[in-house]
Amino acid sequence: MRARFWPELAMAAVLLAAPLILPDLGFSFDLLQRILDWGLIGLGFDLLFGATGLLSFGQAAFYGTGGFVAAYLLVSHAMSSVALALLVGTLAAGLFGLVVGWLAVRRIGIYFAMITLAFGEMAYFLENSPLARFTGGENGLPGVPVPQLGGLKITPGLPMYWMLALLFFVGFVLARRILHSPFGAVLRAIKENTARAGMTGHSVPAYKLAVFVIAALYAGLAGGLLGVFQSYMPPDAFALDTSGQLVVQTVIGGVGTLVGPLVGATLWLWLRDNLQQVPLVGALWKLILGLIFVVLVVVLKRGIAGEIRWIFSRRRRAATEAGVPEEAGEDAAAMPVAAPELPLRATLAVTREDAPALRAIGVSKFYGGLHAVEDVSFDVRTGSIHAVIGPNGAGKSTLFKMLKDEVSPTMGEVLLFGHRITGLGPTRTAQLGIGKSNQLNQLFLDLTVAENLRIAALARARGTFRTDLWRAADSIPAVERQVAAAMETVGLTHRAGVPVHVLPYGEKRRLEIGIALAIGPNVLLLDEPLAGMSPAERVSTRALIREIGRSRTLLIVEHDMDAIFELAERITVLYEGRLLADGTPEEIQRNQAVQDAYLGGLHEHEPA
Amino acid sequence: MSTSLLEIDGINSYYGDSHILFDVSLQVGRNEVVALLGRNGAGKTTTLRSIMGVLAPRSGAIRLDGKPIHGLPPFEIARRGLQLVPEERAIFGQLTVEENLRLAALTAPNAWPLDRVYNFFPRLKERRRSGGRQLSGGEQQMLAIARALIRDAQVILLDEPFEGLAPLIVRDLVRVSRELAAQGRTILVVEQNVVAALSFADRVYVLNNGHMAWEGTPGALRADPALMKAHLGI
Amino acid sequence: MPSAPLLLSQAFNGLALGTLLALVSSGLTIILGTLGVLNFAHGALFMLGAYAMYVVIAHTGSFLLGILVGAMFMLVVGVLLERILIRLFYNRPHEDQILVTFGASIVIVEAVRAVFGGNSQHVPTPGWGEGIARIGFLFYPLYRLELIGIIAALLLLLYLILYRTSIGLVVRAGIEDARMVGILGINVQRAFLLVFAIGVVAAGVSGMLYAPIVSVQPDMGGNFLVEAFVVIVIGGLGSYPGAVVGGLIAGEIISITSAFDSAYSDVMLYAVMALLLVLRPQGLFGSEGRV
Repeated sequence: MRARFWPELAMAAVLLAAPLILPDLGFSFDLLQRILDWGLIGLGFDLLFGATGLLSFGQAAFYGTGGFVAAYLLVSHAMSSVALALLVGTLAAGLFGLVVGWLAVRRIGIYFAMITLAFGEMAYFLENSPLARFTGGENGLPGVPVPQLGGLKITPGLPMYWMLALLFFVGFVLARRILHSPFGAVLRAIKENTARAGMTGHSVPAYKLAVFVIAALYAGLAGGLLGVFQSYMPPDAFALDTSGQLVVQTVIGGVGTLVGPLVGATLWLWLRDNLQQVPLVGALWKLILGLIFVVLVVVLKRGIAGEIRWIFSRRRRAATEAGVPEEAGEDAAAMPVAAPELPLRATLAVTREDAPALRAIGVSKFYGGLHAVEDVSFDVRTGSIHAVIGPNGAGKSTLFKMLKDEVSPTMGEVLLFGHRITGLGPTRTAQLGIGKSNQLNQLFLDLTVAENLRIAALARARGTFRTDLWRAADSIPAVERQVAAAMETVGLTHRAGVPVHVLPYGEKRRLEIGIALAIGPNVLLLDEPLAGMSPAERVSTRALIREIGRSRTLLIVEHDMDAIFELAERITVLYEGRLLADGTPEEIQRNQAVQDAYLGGLHEHEPA
Repeated sequence: MSTSLLEIDGINSYYGDSHILFDVSLQVGRNEVVALLGRNGAGKTTTLRSIMGVLAPRSGAIRLDGKPIHGLPPFEIARRGLQLVPEERAIFGQLTVEENLRLAALTAPNAWPLDRVYNFFPRLKERRRSGGRQLSGGEQQMLAIARALIRDAQVILLDEPFEGLAPLIVRDLVRVSRELAAQGRTILVVEQNVVAALSFADRVYVLNNGHMAWEGTPGALRADPALMKAHLGI
Repeated sequence: MPSAPLLLSQAFNGLALGTLLALVSSGLTIILGTLGVLNFAHGALFMLGAYAMYVVIAHTGSFLLGILVGAMFMLVVGVLLERILIRLFYNRPHEDQILVTFGASIVIVEAVRAVFGGNSQHVPTPGWGEGIARIGFLFYPLYRLELIGIIAALLLLLYLILYRTSIGLVVRAGIEDARMVGILGINVQRAFLLVFAIGVVAAGVSGMLYAPIVSVQPDMGGNFLVEAFVVIVIGGLGSYPGAVVGGLIAGEIISITSAFDSAYSDVMLYAVMALLLVLRPQGLFGSEGRV
């Protein structure tokens, strides 16, 4: 992720060369200005959709807001400075984005698209009638003045192009900085695996809201510029079609490339201006674009810019992927067993030295009439390796989820070093130092091994939410040390730059543990860490678990009894949601009730 | 050909890229009750899901009455007379008991009349207007089995039918299973409750870590505590 | 304060609009509930229905024939759309499903524009719907009154299909657990096809019935799509009763508000939606789990 500046240089070169070359190819200056304007709103939209995965159909609301606020301030002579009016318009769009985003980001996928679309329409109707006194309703606002620079008017044509090109360039550089910042890393994590991003300690709703506002700010500025370079603010800036056109342009140009919307707009607007001149085909340009769009969504998802990037990076990718063997069996055995000490961040005051790391007090979880877990109490001693076992359906996974507060208990509570954590939710408990690896891998598949671990390491270093937009994600030394240590512990250092989806299963499984480890947990919960592993991998992973257990409290659910009896210092047995036994491995092995439960003796006590 | 009604021949199944079943083979004869045992995570459920076509095996063959059924979608396999009763029971909570049964009967050529099913489970008749969500765990399990019965399935795949049920209900279900076996139905049952499973099985297979580890009679298994300990538990 | 006759007349308008929105939205919501696909082409299909009506009436002059032929045509469109496009997307992310149906809506709208041009077309009110009905002191267009009855009958028909037939049994079970429906020997893919086609026909028939009241033009569906979204957000995603009740509520909000100040009629609808999102985000009839 080291910063490379060639995209910025290439963009500058294209923007400088465009007015020399493109006018001969049917691009008027007006067309170039409109393309840049669409590209600008697209930068924000691509951060929202391409980077974070939030598909909004309501960007017109912020485009129109920025545009009409700026235009009204200028036309009504409330303000004389165009720059100031643009700034106010942009901020107004951001504020509106904050309100809409607050309602929309709590919902995902289908809901998010519907709600943003609906608020876009709401803005359209607001502009059209109740606010027509200010906005001119269906007529829009004519007579928006052009900006001045030191007494010199920036007139439509080449001067206006330079202004837009400069603003677009600044917007592009900022968007790239954001994308490669720790903030941007969390955005990508949310797109790849929202649940895991939250579980590692990042406040997902806060990040979604922040990027929603950023996208609204970009849209607001673009809207303001629209009025300025056209000398007229049209009401259709608010129209549903505006949001839709943005989506189509972005997908055709390439989602997640930042330049995709610009490329898509170039194609769309050029086709519209030039095909309309051609007899017969003229009226069909939008139909043709629609068909291209559908085909792109069905078969080729990368779009134009995405396809170009794909071709360019093919050689590099081929080189890294060639280094990944098909089977990891032998490789796993070669894993280092001596783990380095991980830097630990204790954010929690330990009230009493002898307080248990985790204490469950009478926790129960009822789903309707089903009692998944009922009145379970036990302690996990600080620094111990503790196991929870029980037949299928005993409630182990539910209990585990309550210990990290992924699921809040119906009754009872959980204490972490004497502090109540019930009701805090998985993000806060991660920040307090509870790490968890899952029964089924929850990885960020399109990111590299190092990036996966960095997402986790950034969590406790930065807190639940932080807007560090300008520095590079890999520029925090403490975080990088933690990433390196976690990577070495789980034996994946040689895979640092490999995208996770190409890793063999055993290595993915180790990365799953690595992510839980990389947050720097005081207490680590491992849900069936050996599931699906080959015998060779099991041996090395058992060694890994023992090693991790030296420096922190470890709680483990596992079906591999040999592993449990080898590793655990204490074992808690669940059966049908209740605590059946709690003791040392020797005690558990001798316990008749446990024997019966596992061998399925029809137990004698008949429940009421 | 042998007399096997259901024949599984060296199947390999995966969840994503996780290899779960390794060359698993087993046979179930006509009118036979076979128990498939093993620890948690041994691959028992995966075996049943592979037979039903819910999780298509990547290699190997599955034959019903000599005809291959692997690679078919679950609904085609169900129409050939095989019926999975899944571990989670998968009762339709928004549908009533009777609607659950009618739905199951829709595509069965020799569907039983409702009363015949209710004879097996009188409790379900009492609750026939209740929504699936309101049923107790035991009633849900009865309904899940009843859906297989109403389809007149030749082979019933029971996945942990006794899980989480009170002993009285387990006894009741064991009785029904014995009756079904006596009436000539073929059953392949996966169970953690070894004692209950052994009480009505003719033959036993034991899976360990996705490999078939042992095959024999319930008596032979019971007589060998070391085997029980090695493959089944503590 | 508006007069009582105006309020009453607006309440009737609200009922007419509300039943129509209920029909449009129920098509959208059963597709969403069963297939998990949010159909962005629903508005375009509404428009396509109106054009089908326009074509049949222009050739035969018969409104009834328009409904019958139009419904058959929409059924074919629905089947083709599902077979060619939607089927490929059941296992893709929601965002891809939205994009592809949105793309389909562009293609449908532009294809209609290419064939019929962008100008609005007129569909005449059927003979039995001409004139004004008098209810007490209120005069009301007869066709709109009849429309309320026709759509209510269609909603009842849809209810009977969903709740009283074996098709409905499969659909309701499929909403809960499509995999288990397959395990019980039922071809879920075919059930999905049927559901999608029913949803498309519901959208198309709504457009056909609405055609005499408005000007028929290629972009007429966009507004209905958004209002149908609002209806199912209010009613709860995937809930048929939610779509019906939500549609009626939305229709009345729009109509009653415009009796006070027509500038706010649509805005008020979105304000209510926003309020509901804060107070009851799963909608009136929705459960928290889905989507």
